[in-house]
Amino acid sequence: MIVAKRKPFDEIDNMLKGYKKVLNVGCGTCVALCLAGGEKEVEILNSEIDMARKLAGDPITIEGITIERQCDREYLEALDSKVEEYQAILSMACGVGVQFLAERFPQIPVFPAVDTSGLSANQAVGWYEERCRACSSCVLGLTGGICPVTMCAKGLYNGPCGGTNQGSCEIDKNQPCAWYMIYERLSNQGRLDNILAITPPMDWQNQVPRTLIQPGYKKPEDVS
Amino acid sequence: MISPKLVEVGRHVNIDLITNSEVQTVEGEPGSFTVTLANYPRYIDLDVCTGCGDCARHCPAFAIDDINKGLNDRRATYIEYAQAVPLAFAIDAESCIGCGLCENVCLAKAIRYDDTKQESQINVGSLILSPGTKGFDPSGLDYLGFGKYPNVITSEAFERILSAGGPYFGHVMRPLDREEPKSIAWLQCIGSRDTNRCGNGYCSSVCCMYAVKEAMIAKEHIHGDLDCVIFNMDMRTFGKDYEKYFLRARDKEGVRFEKARVHTINEISETGDLRLKYADESGKMNEAIFSMVVLSVGLTIPDSAVELAKRLDINLNNYNFADTDTFAPVETSRKGIYTCGVFQGPKDIPGSVIEASAAACLAGGDLSAARGTDITEVIIPDQVDISDQEPRIGVFVCNCGINIGGIVDVPDVQKYAGTLPDVVFTDSNLFTCSQDTQEKIKEKIKEHKLNRVVVASCTPKTHEEMFMETLEACGLNRYLFEMANIRNQDSWIHSKSPELATQKAKDLVRMAVARAATLYPLEEKIISVNKRALVIGGGIAGMNAALNLARQGFEVVLVEKKTRLGGMARRLHNTIDGSDIQVYTKKLIDQVNSAKKIEVLTESRVTGFGGYKGNFTTWFEVGSSLKKRKIDHGVIIVATGAVEYQPTEYLYGEDERVVTQVELSDQLVKKAGVDHDSIIMIQCVGSRNEKMQECSRICCQAAVKNALHIKKLNSDTQVYILYRDIRTYGLMEDYYTEARRQGVIFIRFEDDAEPQVTATDDGILVKVKDHILQQEVEIRADLLALSAGMRPENTDELSGIMKLNRNLEGYFIEAHVKLRPVDMPGEGIFLCGTAHGPKLISETISQAQAAASRATTFLANSEIKLSAITAKVDTEYCVKCLTCVRSCPFEVPVFNTHTRVIEIDEAMCHGCGICAGICPREAIQLSFYENDQIISKIDALFAGGM
Repeated sequence: MIVAKRKPFDEIDNMLKGYKKVLNVGCGTCVALCLAGGEKEVEILNSEIDMARKLAGDPITIEGITIERQCDREYLEALDSKVEEYQAILSMACGVGVQFLAERFPQIPVFPAVDTSGLSANQAVGWYEERCRACSSCVLGLTGGICPVTMCAKGLYNGPCGGTNQGSCEIDKNQPCAWYMIYERLSNQGRLDNILAITPPMDWQNQVPRTLIQPGYKKPEDVS
Repeated sequence: MISPKLVEVGRHVNIDLITNSEVQTVEGEPGSFTVTLANYPRYIDLDVCTGCGDCARHCPAFAIDDINKGLNDRRATYIEYAQAVPLAFAIDAESCIGCGLCENVCLAKAIRYDDTKQESQINVGSLILSPGTKGFDPSGLDYLGFGKYPNVITSEAFERILSAGGPYFGHVMRPLDREEPKSIAWLQCIGSRDTNRCGNGYCSSVCCMYAVKEAMIAKEHIHGDLDCVIFNMDMRTFGKDYEKYFLRARDKEGVRFEKARVHTINEISETGDLRLKYADESGKMNEAIFSMVVLSVGLTIPDSAVELAKRLDINLNNYNFADTDTFAPVETSRKGIYTCGVFQGPKDIPGSVIEASAAACLAGGDLSAARGTDITEVIIPDQVDISDQEPRIGVFVCNCGINIGGIVDVPDVQKYAGTLPDVVFTDSNLFTCSQDTQEKIKEKIKEHKLNRVVVASCTPKTHEEMFMETLEACGLNRYLFEMANIRNQDSWIHSKSPELATQKAKDLVRMAVARAATLYPLEEKIISVNKRALVIGGGIAGMNAALNLARQGFEVVLVEKKTRLGGMARRLHNTIDGSDIQVYTKKLIDQVNSAKKIEVLTESRVTGFGGYKGNFTTWFEVGSSLKKRKIDHGVIIVATGAVEYQPTEYLYGEDERVVTQVELSDQLVKKAGVDHDSIIMIQCVGSRNEKMQECSRICCQAAVKNALHIKKLNSDTQVYILYRDIRTYGLMEDYYTEARRQGVIFIRFEDDAEPQVTATDDGILVKVKDHILQQEVEIRADLLALSAGMRPENTDELSGIMKLNRNLEGYFIEAHVKLRPVDMPGEGIFLCGTAHGPKLISETISQAQAAASRATTFLANSEIKLSAITAKVDTEYCVKCLTCVRSCPFEVPVFNTHTRVIEIDEAMCHGCGICAGICPREAIQLSFYENDQIISKIDALFAGGM
């Protein structure tokens, strides 16, 4: 899932300077799961902002609402009748949600309250580890199910760099070398020949905003 | 920790508490004893006293406070400590000056100066003797300077110094000048393991552990560095998880451990510090100066208990502990009279609690035919339906004598309560908790049609349950009640500012009223209880548990994975006192096989499990044909046992002259090797090391037992025991003394200098550094016996299927180390024997009886009422993030793969509220503590302006 962590309070406080009436919109899916932007975090952040602004002698009206997902227009609809009375919107969703919200209400400033931090697995409550960079060209089949783009500090496709050090990465001895892990996994599975396959360098296609349409589906305008 | 237990006993409808009394005679037979009691005068009527304490506050006469070990004074009119049950004061006639003040100030009119000693008789079916222990009095040991130097105190006094309720309110100070000590020395074995000066040859079992604990707490409490040194002969931290605590104290907290017995203490008169003189292990004379000395006094049997035993014709041993049999550890010499705790032998709290349940098991077993008769039953009327009513709140404000009323303006608070929303009635009482006020509250509820009640008085911890019962007694749901603590949290702490205290009382009442308005009736679900028990494991623990449950009248299914009953006991021969384990085990197996209520399934494996307390279902594969079998049952007793560690050290398995203690016992029984010149034993093999931190508890006595056996077969055989600490706790110390007397040589080695073993044609050579000679010695032996520790049976599969938690070592985890040592965290599941941790056979038997007792308490009810305070999931909002599943300490929330929602079974929920607190979508609510119900209080507080 997408994980995020809340921005430092001062940064949020700074963004909201000058606004007297703000709506904080939580998102009930990924960021709720990773304990960053669901109902509870909306309430906590609002209390913090409310107290800080009161103490600063600059009170604010800050209200909260958490919708199921900020990346689905059907759920955003619930905000249509509400947003006009606010000077700004704070979004606790991932970067997708923030942009989608800003797109729907172009007349109102939308501010992010969290930093989107990756596609991660949930190891335990509150502990998330990144496993995917969403590069759009998955090589996991060749690499024993270990992603060199995510797990290698340099994102190398074809074997380790000179910094591999007895199983660790040169950036940190606690960071395993992705290619060392890939070698071990493939070797245990008797698939070491896979490591010889050359993967061409990334063509930077991920530098343009990608659109994904699942087979059998069409863009709405194509439907009409 | 003990407070909730005290309250539970005090409030139990079927426990008749008779205090300040002594048993004089016991006549009759098991099943029908007549007990004559001497009831000593208390001079204050127990039933009328409300425990407000006004009498003590006004009492002008002082006496030494025995509870605080004479470190401070109390009044002649007193209560021993704040949590005492019954919560009623008494007058100490010896120090009372007869001034009459207490009678004048007592608003409850409870003082009875004309009270006299009475005699009364009660009829009972069984008796349990638990007269407890008394710390050894070190006054007779002149070299310690106790009683002469103020900064030499007993460990009991130091316990009180550490206590927040103690003489110095928890501040660590020296008695002499009330200064914080810079260094404290603990002297172990004062009144224990000392046949020279006091005649107590036994080990008190608990002092090593409490000394470590006291040192750790003292370091926590002190405002700077504190040097803590524990002078000991052996550190005996043999209990479950105790070794880890000892290592933490030594390696992390810097508590020092010195192997020495201090022979002289002198005070340095200018400073009050103490100079200790002692010889260290190498024999070198040393001196050290400490700010304070704590004498770790042993456990002794008080004279009053010795006299009681005499009156009751109970046999005592040479140290005055009750004489009991290894295989019947809680039965006294008189039939129908049972015992538990230190009176049975020196032991710690978990051991005492286990024995208490064991004694209850046997005492109740004798009377099981009469179960349910001669008891008080509480009849609860049908509930009034309030669903279509607006809140009608009644507020009862308590004066608590002058505890509240003397500070807080109670009439003003009452008047204020009348102005709050939804409040239709207010009242104030002298003592809201008194019996007549309960009747008054009931009348007012009916008269004013109240449907919510607020009591502004003291703490819900002790009083909420009682008020809830008052509501129930007039048809109101018990969850329509709220308390405001205007005493402990207000009048007591703000006694210097009455006006502010009154204001705070109003705030607290306003908050309570706001919450009361949000309350609604909660239904307590009633579930039936299947009266069959499942016992897993057919060793000594499992068989004892099964037999005792059958004796209590319940059906038992006893499951054993092997083809025969008996477990580890099949490999053992004699206990250290010479009792024959084979004879005992055979008798036990015969009893189990002939018991009508016990069904034995051998060669059986648990394959599936489901359900909850009172209604479990377990699936098995039985016999070599793997026949499937399903059993419904109400409780589970886990008794899967343990085995001897199979060493990989010291040439074991490579050289046949290297054996384990269990194997050595086999040889000794066959009289093999009687012509050996020399036998060496090495202790702590597979225990107390990096792989297994814990002590295996039984190996020291096993070594001593076998050493004595060797000496009995051939006194010329030289026996060496290489050890780290000899842990022959309790009465087993005598055997250690005897072994030394018979010439067994004990050589201590450090944990970082293990013996080196080599095999030669001439014998096994062992090199070890001798602690007295301070040099390496080489010893030749014909046989090397390894004291291999204990390992739990492999229960990986079982614990996975039944979701039973184990610790790092693989032993099952109890619900509470001290207070619930045979309960597992899941209700209706109990634990006994070596599945819980290493222990002796006698300890296993008492724990099995205890488990049967706890299971009986559960099975005796045909149905159980579940608490309504449980968590509920709003599945509409839930995003199945699994945060609750991963956070619940009891593993109750689960993702149902069929319905695809998170489910919380109310029968299993403990109502702790962790899931409700952590749910990121606030989709979980804890009944009675719903978000709105809590926030309403906060809103009400701020609405009043701060």
